[in-house]
Amino acid sequence: METTTFVDRFLPKALKSSIDLGLHRRNYTQFRLILILLITAIIVGSVISVAGLGYYYYRDLLQKEEIDQLHWQIDGKVKSIEALINNLTSVVQFTARNDRYGELLVGNNLGELFVRLKRQYPFFADLGVIDHLGIQQNYWGPYELTGTDYSGEDWFAELSDKGLYISGVYTGYRQVPHFSIAVRNLDPLSGKMWILRATIDASTLQNFIDTIKTNASDDLFLVDGESTLQTVSKYYGPLLTRIDSSFTAGVSNVVTSDYKRVFQVMENVKNSPWSLVLVKQQYFHHEHWQKFSKKLLLTVFVCISIGFVVVYILASALTVLIRKAEETQLSMLREAEHTDKLASIGRLAAGVGHEINNPLAIINQKTGLIEDLLLMSASDFEHKETIQNSLKVINQSIDRCKAITHRLLGFARRTDVHPEMLQVNDIIKEVLMFLENSMTYSRITINLQLDEQLTPVTSDQMQLQQIFLNIINNAIDAIGKNGEITIMTHMVAGDVRIVIQDNGPGIAENILPHIFEPFFTTKETGKGTGLGLSITYGLIKKLGGEITVRSHVGQGTAFTITIPLKSKKL
Amino acid sequence: MTTVNRENIKVLIADDEIEFASTLATRLQLRKFNTTMAESGGAALSAIEKSPPDVLLLDLKMPDIDGLEVLARLKDDFADIKVIILTGHGSFEAGQEGMKLGAYDYVMKPVDLNRLIEKIEGAYKEKQAG
Repeated sequence: METTTFVDRFLPKALKSSIDLGLHRRNYTQFRLILILLITAIIVGSVISVAGLGYYYYRDLLQKEEIDQLHWQIDGKVKSIEALINNLTSVVQFTARNDRYGELLVGNNLGELFVRLKRQYPFFADLGVIDHLGIQQNYWGPYELTGTDYSGEDWFAELSDKGLYISGVYTGYRQVPHFSIAVRNLDPLSGKMWILRATIDASTLQNFIDTIKTNASDDLFLVDGESTLQTVSKYYGPLLTRIDSSFTAGVSNVVTSDYKRVFQVMENVKNSPWSLVLVKQQYFHHEHWQKFSKKLLLTVFVCISIGFVVVYILASALTVLIRKAEETQLSMLREAEHTDKLASIGRLAAGVGHEINNPLAIINQKTGLIEDLLLMSASDFEHKETIQNSLKVINQSIDRCKAITHRLLGFARRTDVHPEMLQVNDIIKEVLMFLENSMTYSRITINLQLDEQLTPVTSDQMQLQQIFLNIINNAIDAIGKNGEITIMTHMVAGDVRIVIQDNGPGIAENILPHIFEPFFTTKETGKGTGLGLSITYGLIKKLGGEITVRSHVGQGTAFTITIPLKSKKL
Repeated sequence: MTTVNRENIKVLIADDEIEFASTLATRLQLRKFNTTMAESGGAALSAIEKSPPDVLLLDLKMPDIDGLEVLARLKDDFADIKVIILTGHGSFEAGQEGMKLGAYDYVMKPVDLNRLIEKIEGAYKEKQAG
C-alpha cells in the first residue's frame, strides 16, 4: 500500500504523509522544527546572498572608480611637477649660454648674474662654474667652494653623457636641504666643455607639492630612486627619511602603520630622479561607505528577524492546523472502523440469534408438552420428580437463552426514531423509579444533581430510556453492594450533558478502550451478554450524541453522555 | 368473567417449523382447543378457504407466502378472522407492521403458552362480540 518515491528517501519521517491507525504518530515538535529551520534557511540564505552580492559589487565599483580617479589625479600632478622642472631647467640653460664661459670667470660677473637671477627666482641658493676637468673655476654663494674638484662624482660622469643633470635632495655643506641642476655647455673659444651648476632650495619642491596637494589626497610626496623622501610625507615622516618598503609604479594596496587601508599611486616624473607618490584612504574609511555598510547590515538584520518571527508564527500555526486535521482524520478513521466493526458484528449477532431462536422455540414447546403429559398422568412412576425438576431447569435455561437471543436480535433492529420534545431530567427519574427495587436491594444511594433549567431536547423517549437504563444498570452491577451513583445534568455549549458516575471498582486501563465493543464483558459467564454498552453506544450515535468514559481503578467510573438539543440525524 | 367453551374455538397454526407447530397444536388440543395446522402460507390460505378458523396463529417468515402477505390477502374476504402473529424474528417492527395490517396481537417466540392462550381467548371473545 505504501509506495516510497525517490523523494521520500530524503524526507525526514516527520514530513512524510502518513496516516495509520497504529501507534506511529507524527512527531509534531520535530515537524515544526524542520519547517522553521528550512524556511528560515531559505530566507536567511536569500537575504544574505542578495545583500552580499550588492555589497561586493558596490565595493568593486567604488574601488574601480577610486583607482581611475587616482590615475587622473596623479597624471595631472606629475604634469605640473614636470612643468616646474622644465621651467627651472630652462632658466639654468638660458643663463648658461655657450659663449659666456670666459665672461663668467672674470670679475664680479657671476655675482651680478646670481643677483639678477635671485631677483627673479628667489629660491636659487648658489651658482658655480666648472671646467671640463671637473674643477670649480668660479663660485657665487654663501660658502667658499672655488677650486673644489667634482671630477670623481657620479653626476659629473652622467652630465658628460646627457648634458643635463638634476640631483636628488641632499643637505651638503650647508645642512640645508637643496638640490642642484647642472647644465653642460661648449665654450666656442676653447672648444672645451664647461658646466653651470645651480643649487636650489628644496623648499621649492615642498612649496610646490603643498600647492598642488588638494583634499582629494591624504598624502602627496616625492621620492627618489632609493625610496628617500624628497618632500615631507604625512605617513612616512620628514624629509630625507629612507622608507623601508620599496615603492612600485602604479596603484598598490597598502596598510599603514595605524592600520588604515590606503591606495598608494606612484608615477615617475620625467627628466628628474623623482617619482610622485599619492596616498589616499580607501573607501572603507569614507563616510558614505560606512553609512552604506551600516544600513545594509541593519536591513539584513531586520529582514532576518522579521522573517524568523513570521516563519515561527506561520510554522507553529501550520503545525497546529496539520495536527488538528490529522487528528480529526484519525479519529474519523477510528470511528468508522468502530462503527464498521459494530455493524458487522451486529449483523452476525442478529443472524446467530435468529438461527438459535427457532430451535429454542421448539425445545420450549417440547418441554411444555412433556410437562403437560406428566401432569396428565395420574400415576406416579420412578424418577417422575427428578424428570419434573430437570424440566424446570431446562425451562430456566431456555429463559436465559431467550433473553440473549432477543438482545442479539435487538441489535439488528431498525427501530424508528420518534422525535418528541423531552425533558432529560424526567426520563432519568422514570428510569430510576424502574430500578428502585434493585438499588434498594443492593443498598445503593443515588445522588441527583439535575439542572432544573435544562432545555428540553427533541429526541426519542424509548431510546433515551434504554440508554440511561443500560448505563445505570451497569453502574449498579459494577458497584455490587453499598455504593453511590451520582447523576448530573447540565447544559454544555448548547447540548445537554449527562454524567453518570459510580464509586465502584473502576475499569482497568487496558480494558477501557474495549468496553463499547460487542460481546466484550468482564462479568462472569452467563451474567452478561457484553452487548449492553455496545447497544447503548449505537443508540447514542443514532440520536446524534456522544458518549465518553473516564475511569480510575479503585475510584470509580464516569460516563459522560452528550445529547444535542436537536440531532441533525433525526 | 364469561368462560369460553374452548372446543368451539377453531385455531389454525400456520408455521413452516413443523416440529414447533405440531407440538404447539398438540398442547392446545390437550387444552381442548379445536386446533389444526398448515405448514406454509399457501397451505394456510387453502385451509382457510375450506374452513375458516376463528383465530389464526401466523408465523411471519415462511418460504412460499410470508405471514404479512397472508395477512394482506385475508383482509378482503376473511376480515373477521383474528390473527395473532408468532414472530421468531424477535423483531418488534415486524410484529408492529403486522398490527398495522390488521393483526389482533403478536407473540414472540419462544412462546409462553399461558399468555398465548389468554390472547387466543381474548381474540375469540372480541370476534364473538364484533
